[in-house]
Amino acid sequence: MRGRGGVAALPFPVIAMIGPSLVLAAFVVGYPLYEIVRLSLHEVSRFGMIRAFTGWGNFANVLADATFQASLWRTLIWTGFVVGGTMVISIPVAVVLNLDFAGRGLARTIVMLPWSVSLSMASIVWLWAFNADYGVVNTFLTAIGALPRGLAWMARPETAFPIEIAIGIVVSIPFTTTVLLGGLSSIPGDIYEAARIDGAGPWMQFRMLTLPLLKSFIGIAMILNMIHVFNSFPIIWIMTQGGPNDTTHILITYLYDLAFRLGRPGPAAAISLIMLVIVFSFTLLYLRMQGRERA
Amino acid sequence: MIDFKAAFRSWSRLGAVLGLAMAPLAAPAQADTVRVTVSYYSAATGPFFEKMAAEFAKANPGHEVKIEVVNWNALFQKLQTDISGNANSDISIIGTRWLLDFVRDDLVEPLDGYMNADFRNRFIGTFLNPSQIKAKTYGLPIAASARGLYYNKAMLTAAGFPTGPKTWDEVVAAAEKIKAAGGNGFGVQGKGTEVDVYLYYALWSYGGTVVSPDIKAAFNSPAGVKALTLYKSIVDRGLSQPGVTDYDRTDLQNLFKQGRLGMVITAPFLINQIAKEVPTLEYGIAPVPTGTTNATYAVTDSVVMFKNSKVKATAWKFLDFLFTAGPRIEFTKAEGFLPTTKAEAADPYFTGNERLQTFVNLLPNAHFAPTVTGWEDTAKAVTNAAQSVYLGSATPEAALKKAETEANAALGK
Amino acid sequence: MKRARLSLLCWLALSPLVLISLFPFMVMLVTALKPLSEIFTYPPRFLPQRPSFDAFGEMWNATRFALALRNSIEIAVESTLCTLVVAVPAAYALARMQFRLAGAYRQFLLVVQMLSPILLVLGLFRLMASIPWGDGTLVNTRIGIIIPYAGFQMTFAVWMLSSYFAAIPREIEEAAWMDGCTRLRAIRSIFLPLALPAISVTGIVAFVAAWNEFAVALTLLRDVDRQTVTLQVVNLVAGRYSVEWNQVMAATLAATVPVAAVFTWLQRYMVRGLTFGAIQ
Repeated sequence: MRGRGGVAALPFPVIAMIGPSLVLAAFVVGYPLYEIVRLSLHEVSRFGMIRAFTGWGNFANVLADATFQASLWRTLIWTGFVVGGTMVISIPVAVVLNLDFAGRGLARTIVMLPWSVSLSMASIVWLWAFNADYGVVNTFLTAIGALPRGLAWMARPETAFPIEIAIGIVVSIPFTTTVLLGGLSSIPGDIYEAARIDGAGPWMQFRMLTLPLLKSFIGIAMILNMIHVFNSFPIIWIMTQGGPNDTTHILITYLYDLAFRLGRPGPAAAISLIMLVIVFSFTLLYLRMQGRERA
Repeated sequence: MIDFKAAFRSWSRLGAVLGLAMAPLAAPAQADTVRVTVSYYSAATGPFFEKMAAEFAKANPGHEVKIEVVNWNALFQKLQTDISGNANSDISIIGTRWLLDFVRDDLVEPLDGYMNADFRNRFIGTFLNPSQIKAKTYGLPIAASARGLYYNKAMLTAAGFPTGPKTWDEVVAAAEKIKAAGGNGFGVQGKGTEVDVYLYYALWSYGGTVVSPDIKAAFNSPAGVKALTLYKSIVDRGLSQPGVTDYDRTDLQNLFKQGRLGMVITAPFLINQIAKEVPTLEYGIAPVPTGTTNATYAVTDSVVMFKNSKVKATAWKFLDFLFTAGPRIEFTKAEGFLPTTKAEAADPYFTGNERLQTFVNLLPNAHFAPTVTGWEDTAKAVTNAAQSVYLGSATPEAALKKAETEANAALGK
Repeated sequence: MKRARLSLLCWLALSPLVLISLFPFMVMLVTALKPLSEIFTYPPRFLPQRPSFDAFGEMWNATRFALALRNSIEIAVESTLCTLVVAVPAAYALARMQFRLAGAYRQFLLVVQMLSPILLVLGLFRLMASIPWGDGTLVNTRIGIIIPYAGFQMTFAVWMLSSYFAAIPREIEEAAWMDGCTRLRAIRSIFLPLALPAISVTGIVAFVAAWNEFAVALTLLRDVDRQTVTLQVVNLVAGRYSVEWNQVMAATLAATVPVAAVFTWLQRYMVRGLTFGAIQ
């Protein structure tokens, strides 16, 4: 059964086992991807009628579009802050949840709960909470005297976008914490014991033991979060739809706006391919970095 | 559990279908199923169309009408994906302003061949016009509305305009008084659909136009600048509700319903909402304020029949039924729209309804959205211009100039 | 005594996150209990003056919630099963069998993972609309939505499962072979029981993803009769001329509680599952 060197390229049982997943992925992803490439290279009517071949025309137009450039920049800020914020909060939370304290099960459950709310519904709830006239946030802030009257949070990008980032962080924490918690519980307790005997304080233990041992889990969590957040649609779409004046668009919301509101599937397809290239290169870069560290 | 039995059945059915395809064309259809896409206007929309479908099926045994109700925000996307996947319904409601795009892709059926003089004569003349392109009729006006100024009687009486403001100067004067008394004067819409239209109210009243006859952007005109400058000063001086870019039409209507907004320009269906939710609210309806002339916005939604429908005869029969007096009156009444057929207009509900009559009387001066390609892009460009001015990041002149360039890139293409 | 202090400190440290995590649920509950007249009062009050459960009943009828709930459960369960059926063998192959293209396969999974369904919605729709099924096409069918869900969840599932499987000591299985077990039997009676926690965690992730998905469902499920809870809830808000927030929140709560319950129930299992995966 085995080929040269003891390892076959694809022995039959392996084909049988991974085959279905390859077929499924090719089916779900292959044709749509082909469609997108085709759309991106043509002038396409609102209703998907392919008109003229335009080559790189759609790409050139998109790259020159000021809203696209601003959205690209904002996407990087969005991804950076949401993923960064998520990691900064999730790591200590996971460390705490890994300690043996009373009610730990309850605490873990509560921290994981937001995961059970769909992103679209969570966005709706937060939108309502931040409503200028009837929202809980304004009710609370005026009640404690922090604000003289309610603020229209979603009216300006300076308030709306940071709120969206904060919500992005809040909804990413459960998954991230869960992954990290898995990593933490794999670290045997006796190495801490040893470190303590060597006189390492809690901070030293965290820096010298926990972080390095947790590294691969942080890596997995980061890359998955990055892919997710980069493509994350509901929060911004439901709360501000990229407005006012296109000042809260990220690429995916702008793409949706172009494709489905303005009826321009060609440029929208071009943006999806550009987005794909961006995530792809980030992932590659990350894998390369990880590989180097390991070597 | 995955229902394997059902899956298997489906597979064998697929085989049967393939087999049939080999055979010569199938026998003539006995029973037609007409698929109808309708947009959600209110909680009454779905039930109304379901009822019509049931009545139709009863009167035409063997035929069936299937209704799909879609939210307005999702309607365009649904039509787009359906059409590009060749899976669209037979009949759909659309915004009349989209019609040209459908016609250009040769997607919708001209209806003139189905209509006789008697059928045409059912409609109030002006309402059939917006859905005619190059002398062919592609849509029937299923819903129509115009815009008027709703005012809170108590607030406006205190401000010295008991029958509502007539001009923009009076609007500003009233709003100043209302503000001094601690209220919100004139509602400015800064979010969602129709931010652009809200600006056009003033633009038209100063004699401007949005798109010129040769299909170029025409809103960057003295009238346009004047309109946007007026709104900007209203916003900047705090004569509107605060945070205008957080308020879509629904939000403004809610403020008005609570008696916290002096004036707002909106559609007739607010009458129904107020009657249902806050029957005690004292309010009046006046024409859109004048600058140099009288103007309002009128809008229709059309129902179209798709060219690739295989059941056109039955689909038309259903349309014919929808536009008879009974269904029309029931629909228009429930949704709070304006009559589009003569039979509705003659019904005592409408003739006796003073508030609705205010809107009907505005129709001679009404502007419709022009049927041009690129209207959505123009709307988006003007919306962005208005928002940038309300946010204080651009002057009216600069914002409209930028919007003009953007709109011209899309218009008439 | 020391443990009590530690517990206090831990809860104190977690308290901001606990509050923020519970906040949406509180907003849902408080709003759902308000009658419509209290929703739009100004100045707003935090708690309902006359709490009532009417919104739940109204929402239940307006959205035909029971039907939507059934659709959601069927779609989520079936697509989860489908995901696992495809992913478990693939993950086992990755973790246990050496083959030269394993690295390429892993990277292929990562690339597929990068494709957001939203990017592909238009193409997905065209794909499903081109496949005849029953009287029509795969559009608006349950199988038509289960396949893409399984396809998109599968990549993550294989990734996660293979690292878990790799952590299960190979020796136990090998010992069984010595005892004359066939490989298949060893998998069934030795490996699978050990892998169960990891499989159920992966299953939950797939289930929740399917339960909460919006964009693909919006595009592929046309009939109101076939739509999921998530679609129905968003439909209550988007593009309506008036939004009844108490019904919206009642619906959100009703759609969330089943999933939250599953989470609570399986919380311990989840961490155990993850612990397994972690002993690399």
